[in-house]
Amino acid sequence: MPREALVIGKTGVGKTAFVLGLAEFLNMKKLEISFLYPDGHKRAEEYRLDHAKRELIGSKRHRTRCLQSIAIELPAGKGKKILTITDSPGLVDGIHEREEVRRAMAQTLGAVRRADVILHVVDVGDFIGDRERGTEEVDKQIAEYASLKGGYVILANKMDLPGAAGGLQTVMDEYIGRQVIPVSVLQKKGFVEVKAFVWRYV
Amino acid sequence: MEIKWQFDRDQARQPDQVLEAVEKGNISAATAVGFFRQIERPVGAHSEAEETARKRLQDIMQELDALIGLGTVKKLISEIRAFVEIQKRRVSEQLATEPLVLHMIFKGNPGTGKTTVARIVGKLFKEMGVLPKGHLIEVERADLVGEYIGHTAQKTREQIKKAMGGIFFIDEAYSLARGGEKDFGKEAIDVLVKAMEDHKDQLILILAGYRDEMDWFLRTNPGLRSRFPIIIEFPDYSLDELLEIADCMLRIRQYRLNQEARQELRAILARKTNGGHEHNGNARLVRNIIERAIRRQAVRLVIQNEITREELIVIVDADIEEAPAGA
Repeated sequence: MPREALVIGKTGVGKTAFVLGLAEFLNMKKLEISFLYPDGHKRAEEYRLDHAKRELIGSKRHRTRCLQSIAIELPAGKGKKILTITDSPGLVDGIHEREEVRRAMAQTLGAVRRADVILHVVDVGDFIGDRERGTEEVDKQIAEYASLKGGYVILANKMDLPGAAGGLQTVMDEYIGRQVIPVSVLQKKGFVEVKAFVWRYV
Repeated sequence: MEIKWQFDRDQARQPDQVLEAVEKGNISAATAVGFFRQIERPVGAHSEAEETARKRLQDIMQELDALIGLGTVKKLISEIRAFVEIQKRRVSEQLATEPLVLHMIFKGNPGTGKTTVARIVGKLFKEMGVLPKGHLIEVERADLVGEYIGHTAQKTREQIKKAMGGIFFIDEAYSLARGGEKDFGKEAIDVLVKAMEDHKDQLILILAGYRDEMDWFLRTNPGLRSRFPIIIEFPDYSLDELLEIADCMLRIRQYRLNQEARQELRAILARKTNGGHEHNGNARLVRNIIERAIRRQAVRLVIQNEITREELIVIVDADIEEAPAGA
C-alpha cells in the first residue's frame, strides 16, 4: 500500500510550487499527476515538469482546486515502494461562502486523516514584522492534531524573502516544540532535509 | 457567522459527518480538525511523552518571557534555542553540523538578572537534551582559589564536579586574573579550560561580571575569548522596569502599594538611578526596599488593636524607606 505524504496549509503559501520543486530536486522530468476531485472522480495526466510548473502554479486561473498527487517510486529491497505526494487546495479560516471551496476543503481534511506524513507549509513572510498575520486558527488546529500522528513537520517556505531569518524565528516560537524545516523553492533550499524526513516514514 | 454545531457522542464515531458539516457550511475547517482531535486518541505513549516535553519547553520559554525587561537577552536566548534545535535536526539527518559551543559571558551590573537567566538557560538546555541535568552551580573566586600550591586545582575540580551535567556560573570571573604572577587565580583558569575541553557535552560555563571588568578580562586573556562565543549584555533596568519589578514582587506575596507609597518608591529609585552610581544594585535594590517595607509594615501594624484585611495588604509610604548603605 503506497505511503502518502500530504502537503497542506493556507492558500498562497507555496504548496504546489513546493511539490513541483521537490519533484525537480528528485530529478523527475516527467510526472504523472493524479487529480482527485471532491465529487470523487479521478483523472490522471502526464506532464513534463516545466509544463506542470507553468500550468499549476500561482495565477488565479489555476489555483489548486482538488487533490493533486504525484507518485514517486523508491527502491526498496528487491522491489520498490511508491510514495505519493499529495498537494491540496488551501485551507482558510472561517466558513467559506462558496460550496465548491468548502467541498475542496472537506476533501483536504479527509486526506489529513488518511495521510502517513503531513507537510504543513507556512509562508515565512506572514511572520515577518507584524506577528498578527502569522498563525491562523486552522494552522494551530492542524499543528495540534497532526503532531499526534508522528509524521508531521512544518515547512517554513519563502526563506528567500528579506527578513526571513526573523520570520523563521517567529515560526519556531509560534510552533514551539514542533519540527520546522526552512525551505525556499526559489533558491532550491531545504529539499535535502525534507526528503530525509519524509523517507523515514516510508 | 458560525452556526453552533453540537458535538454529539454518536457522531464522534463518524468523522464523515464532520466533513459533511464542513461541506454544508456548518463548521469551519479549524473546528473540524478540532473534532478530529477529540475523535482520535493520541497514538501511543510516545506521543504523550512528546507532548509533555513540548509543554515543559513552552513553560520554560514563558518563564523567560515573564522576566521584566531583558528584551535583547530574551531574543538572543531564542536565537540560541533555534540554533541548537536546527543542529539537532541536522545531526539526526546525518548532515554536517556546527559544533555546539555554548559557553557564555554575561556582562552587567549586579541585580540585572544574570543568575536568574543562567538558571533558566540551564533548564532550557536540559529540556533540549543539550545538558544531562541542567542545574546551576554558582561560585566566585573564593570558592575556586586556594592558599597554597595545588589547593586551587583541588578546590576548582571539586566545584566542577558539582556542576557536571549543568551550568557552572562564575561570578566576578575577572577576579581570577587580577593577581600578579604568584596569584593562584591563573591555576583556576587552567583547570577550567581543561574541564571545558574534557567534558564538552556535560558542562557549560558562564562567566559573569561588570561589563568593563569582563572586557578587560577577555582582552588580557585572548585564549579565553575564543572559547566563549556567546556574549550577552545585561543592561541596567529603567525606572519603569524597576517599578514593574517591585509590583511583581509585591503581587506574588499578596501585598500592594498605595498611591503615596508608589510615589515615594519612584522618588527613591529615581534618585538612585540618576545618582550616577553605576553599581546601584538594580533589582536587588528593589528587593531590599520591598522586603524592608514589608517588615516596617509589620512593625507598624502589630501595635494596633485591630487590623483589617485591607491593612494587611497595603504598604503605605511610611513603610517605604531607602535601604541604608551596605544593607
